[in-house]
Amino acid sequence: MMITILALSAAASPLATHRAILAPESRLLAIRAEQVVLPDGGAPARGVILIEDGRIAAVGPDVEVPEGAILVEHRGTASAGLVALHSYSGSPSEMFDSTRSVLPEARVSLAFDPANPDFADALRAGITSIVLTPIPASLCGGTSALVKTSGGVVVRGEAQLSLGFSSLALRNNRFPTSFGGAVAELDRLFEEPEGVFARAAKREIPVLLEASSREDVARAIAFAQRHELTGAISGAAWAGELAEKIHSAELSVVCGPWRIGEERRDLLAVLALEKAGVPFGFAIDAPANHPLMLRAGAAMCLREGLGRATAWRALTSDAARIAGAEDRIGSLSKGLDADIVLWSGDPLDLGSTPQAVYVDGKLAWKDKP
Amino acid sequence: MRALTGWFQLGLCAASLAAPAIAADGSTSLFIQGKRIILRPGEEIQDGAILVRDGRIAAVGRDLRQPEDAKRIEGAVVCAAYIDAWGALGLGQDSLRDPTTSAATRTVDGLDPWADEHLRRETLRAGVTVVRVQAGADARVGGIGALVRVAPDLPAGDAVVQPACSLSMSIGQAAPGEAEGRDPFERIADLDRVVSAVETGKNYLIARTEHRYELEEWEKKIAEKETELDKDAKKAKKDREKEQKEAEEKGKPFQEKKYKEDKRPQPPRYDEDSEILGRVADGAIPFFVQANRSSEIRGLLTGTAEHDRLRLVVVGGAEALACSRMLAERRIPVLLAPVPRGRLGSNEEETAPLSLAGDLARAGVPLLLGTGGEDAGASRDLPLVAALAIGNGLERSKAFEIVTLGAARAFDASDRLGSLEVGKAAEILVLEGDPLTAGAGVRYVVSAGRLVVEPGN
Amino acid sequence: MIPIHALALALALVPAGRREDEPQRRWTIYADEIHTSTGRTLANGMVFVNNGKISLVSTGREESPERELLKVRAVTAGLVDASVRIDAELQSVEQSSEISPSVRVADSLDPFSIEWDRQVRSGVTTVLANPLDLDVVGGLGVVLKTAGPESIEARTVRADAVLRGAMGSQPSYGNHPAFGRPTDFFSRRPTTRMGVEWEWRKAFYDAAASRKDSERAYPGSDLVLRALDGDLTIAIQAWTTQDIRTAVFLKEEVERELGGHPRVLLDAAAEAWKEPDLLVRSKVGVVLPPFPSNGRTGEGSFMAWNVARMLHDRGVPIALSSHGSANPEDRLPLQAGYAMRGGLDFESALEAVTISPARMLGVEDRVGTVEVGKDADLVLWNGPPFEPGSRIVGVLVDGVLKVDPREQAE
Repeated sequence: MMITILALSAAASPLATHRAILAPESRLLAIRAEQVVLPDGGAPARGVILIEDGRIAAVGPDVEVPEGAILVEHRGTASAGLVALHSYSGSPSEMFDSTRSVLPEARVSLAFDPANPDFADALRAGITSIVLTPIPASLCGGTSALVKTSGGVVVRGEAQLSLGFSSLALRNNRFPTSFGGAVAELDRLFEEPEGVFARAAKREIPVLLEASSREDVARAIAFAQRHELTGAISGAAWAGELAEKIHSAELSVVCGPWRIGEERRDLLAVLALEKAGVPFGFAIDAPANHPLMLRAGAAMCLREGLGRATAWRALTSDAARIAGAEDRIGSLSKGLDADIVLWSGDPLDLGSTPQAVYVDGKLAWKDKP
Repeated sequence: MRALTGWFQLGLCAASLAAPAIAADGSTSLFIQGKRIILRPGEEIQDGAILVRDGRIAAVGRDLRQPEDAKRIEGAVVCAAYIDAWGALGLGQDSLRDPTTSAATRTVDGLDPWADEHLRRETLRAGVTVVRVQAGADARVGGIGALVRVAPDLPAGDAVVQPACSLSMSIGQAAPGEAEGRDPFERIADLDRVVSAVETGKNYLIARTEHRYELEEWEKKIAEKETELDKDAKKAKKDREKEQKEAEEKGKPFQEKKYKEDKRPQPPRYDEDSEILGRVADGAIPFFVQANRSSEIRGLLTGTAEHDRLRLVVVGGAEALACSRMLAERRIPVLLAPVPRGRLGSNEEETAPLSLAGDLARAGVPLLLGTGGEDAGASRDLPLVAALAIGNGLERSKAFEIVTLGAARAFDASDRLGSLEVGKAAEILVLEGDPLTAGAGVRYVVSAGRLVVEPGN
Repeated sequence: MIPIHALALALALVPAGRREDEPQRRWTIYADEIHTSTGRTLANGMVFVNNGKISLVSTGREESPERELLKVRAVTAGLVDASVRIDAELQSVEQSSEISPSVRVADSLDPFSIEWDRQVRSGVTTVLANPLDLDVVGGLGVVLKTAGPESIEARTVRADAVLRGAMGSQPSYGNHPAFGRPTDFFSRRPTTRMGVEWEWRKAFYDAAASRKDSERAYPGSDLVLRALDGDLTIAIQAWTTQDIRTAVFLKEEVERELGGHPRVLLDAAAEAWKEPDLLVRSKVGVVLPPFPSNGRTGEGSFMAWNVARMLHDRGVPIALSSHGSANPEDRLPLQAGYAMRGGLDFESALEAVTISPARMLGVEDRVGTVEVGKDADLVLWNGPPFEPGSRIVGVLVDGVLKVDPREQAE
């Protein structure tokens, strides 16, 4: 979609935060903001982000704006786009195939509709990438997909292999009916020489271990260690209480989603993850939850004492790593996709709001002034 | 008012035993110094201090001297504590979900001062010290809500700020046990019920007032007649005896001349619900009506237009923007709980857009903010909910006013709460940064003149 | 044999101090009586615990500043319960298949359950955890400690300790014939005892045949083969006489026809007292269920308090169990008391809840007696053990004090 704005005079209205001429196609775009959030989330400083062909070419206070570049001035803060780690956006009813308990070749990347308004909601909340996951109601529901919230771009078609360790994966009238049976079957599947499980066993694709209680988490950790898997644990509010074990197993955690009135114990479990050095990101489980709760959840953890840098990483770079795409998204670094959000203020303050969002260097959404 | 239950009496004992008491009511004197003291929304002083004594603000200013017996606290920013206008703290699930509430049901009767103790501490740490609670959250008529303090172990008089701060009714909400979604006829019936409730109350009030006047008149008349009769008593007696004799002589039965007095005027039948509705119609208790659709809000406004003493508050108000002019003209506040809801499972007409707070504020409609009245733990997140509203267009200073003085005014408690002025109750926050920002950092909280939150506790 | 004199072991190489947050693991325990479960009782003796193991058992008194001191009336080894279910629900048994040897009970255990705490307080320090017996062959039982790190792996004493199954009517509960009903596995499974026995036999025969013909192998048949070879103990639940006989005959048939030499344990063998000759002849061990208050117990079987004595007198190895029951009267220490009331002498009752189940489960090298070198799993009593008037005032698991006698009111 092309947006053409004519700058009528240099003396723009004091209320405008953008002064830009957007020609239809330009290779070079420069964004100058009063504050730029650095990858560690701290000490934002005035700077320029230079974008070339949809990627970040340079970031810093001393970056020169080259000739021919379109300049966007922003009176506020610019940061990398947020990464949400667990969602059913785009097709909530399509994420679960009830006929089979093991369907590793199922790909969520083929199940979503990019025109679904869930993605526009996420974009407006500052989320530029989202991991769409199978619903954890089977032993293996398929592979998750990392997609951009604008343009339906699939960044990673097989981002994680989803494995069910909670009682949701069990049935009372179909295999497996027991945790023992489920684990025995998974053990057997991981012995297969070829296929998706074999790739996961070789650590070519990370696993997403879906749990709901602490005993599920304990079981999942033991399993991952036994097969030397890499990946993340999702869905258990108190996973953080096993933070040391998760750290020894070199796994990550997907936390949340949180709601207004969330129990403090759940938030303290996130602090335990920080203390043990376990990387984590946040889930949103849209469309049952609003994408704004991604930042709201981070704000709740901050209030309980989570470090700012940790919170920022959980929303961006650590989440990108868990999704297996830290080479593409998650920070304002040279060579990464130009997914940038222009905020009215500090993105970790809920009082700030996105005013414009760029995905792959193109303006994907802009707030009405 | 019915006598308060034994819970509060126990609380009184506990408080007086637990406090290392200096003052008789168990509170210490406090001397709070701040680099910036926000006295009221829009008014600040630099490098000032507040003296708290006996639960109240005794002095505020720049040149106060610290008394010897006062405990000293200092911080960067000092402001009034927040009020959650739509909470559920201290009210058990049974009362909250009670489907049998009526207008006369009083939420204070269902309060447990020791319930949700861990939630109370978290809520205080977030800076919220007063919460409005309402029984019968699901019911069509919720009864009388109360304004209560969050801090535990307070003596009876301090735990409840206002035992009758609102009467709650709803339009368009399914009663518990009914299927979701009410058809247009049911909604019209709801609206009628709400409007006629006010009518009923007003008429009841009028009837009682009239009765009072009639009774007065009647008593006056009786008294007059009695004096009249007393005056002519002797003469009347003689006349009577004469007539008796005459009757005897004539052989006729004696007709006693009786004075028939008018019947004593009967009062209107006592109805406790109508009593309350009368007080609502008279403006003594604010009337909180939950209505989301614009047609219903409009119907509510036009239906109650003639009751100029009625203090109406629209709760929910998802489509209130369509009626903003009427609301602004009549200064009717809208109570919002701007919690972001996912698309799935939420009804579009009943879900307020996140920008609503900002839009209504700009249209001049008074606002109240709360956390939804269903989850006791949600009051702790009031600052976050306010921040979300700020992020979606509400001005920060306005948000601050709404959760402090604005809420106090709406509940007629602005003589006691909402700002840092001499004589008001000491509900004070000491922060590291601006209120309602991520950097606010609540360090100390004072409620009812007691230090309830300190760093490290 | 117990060394009378102090015998310092290499295990005494302990670090000089311990961190604040680490539990104390070095103890000296003075006791009026130490019941070792080896047949010997020491009077006025002491036990040293170093780093989770028993480092000394002898008469006398010797204090040491590095070890904390506990003084009690009596000490026994931590009790071993050979048949327990901890929060076992439908998720512990793989109902989609009647024979599911590779399903591990350990995968369905919850390390955070409060049941563990109840077991510890009853003096039980080691258990064999079983699944619900809704399958004919339910899977692999695990022997683990009832306290320790909050992880099943860390507490496991012996993984895959027994191949668990049931003979009798439980695996046929809820099953129904296929006529006129949609196919589900409840219509495929046996509906009679003989059907259950047939499943067992088929499992053994197919496993044996799979050595030559790989087509006869099935998931878990390798484990059944190990069981046939005697490498994996088979624990069969058999309440009634007919089930006990069926199990024993099956064992003998397998030995005869398939050349196997399985080690078999009969669990919940309430009516074992009716067939003692059979049990002696076939050399199977018996785990008794909790004594019922009026004689009737599982599947209509009958047992009285003297059956333990009867079996013991005939030379049948016995162990007592509690099935992890939540009823206080079914807890293991009381079971030993009931057996004694039925005529069993104290030493034999003590063995039946310590070294005998340890032997049956193959963990006698680590637990079951109070001897130097064994895990420091000890129960401390304020009177003669198993008497109703005595209480358990202390429990150590792997040398960590889980119930503290100093906090108990006398």
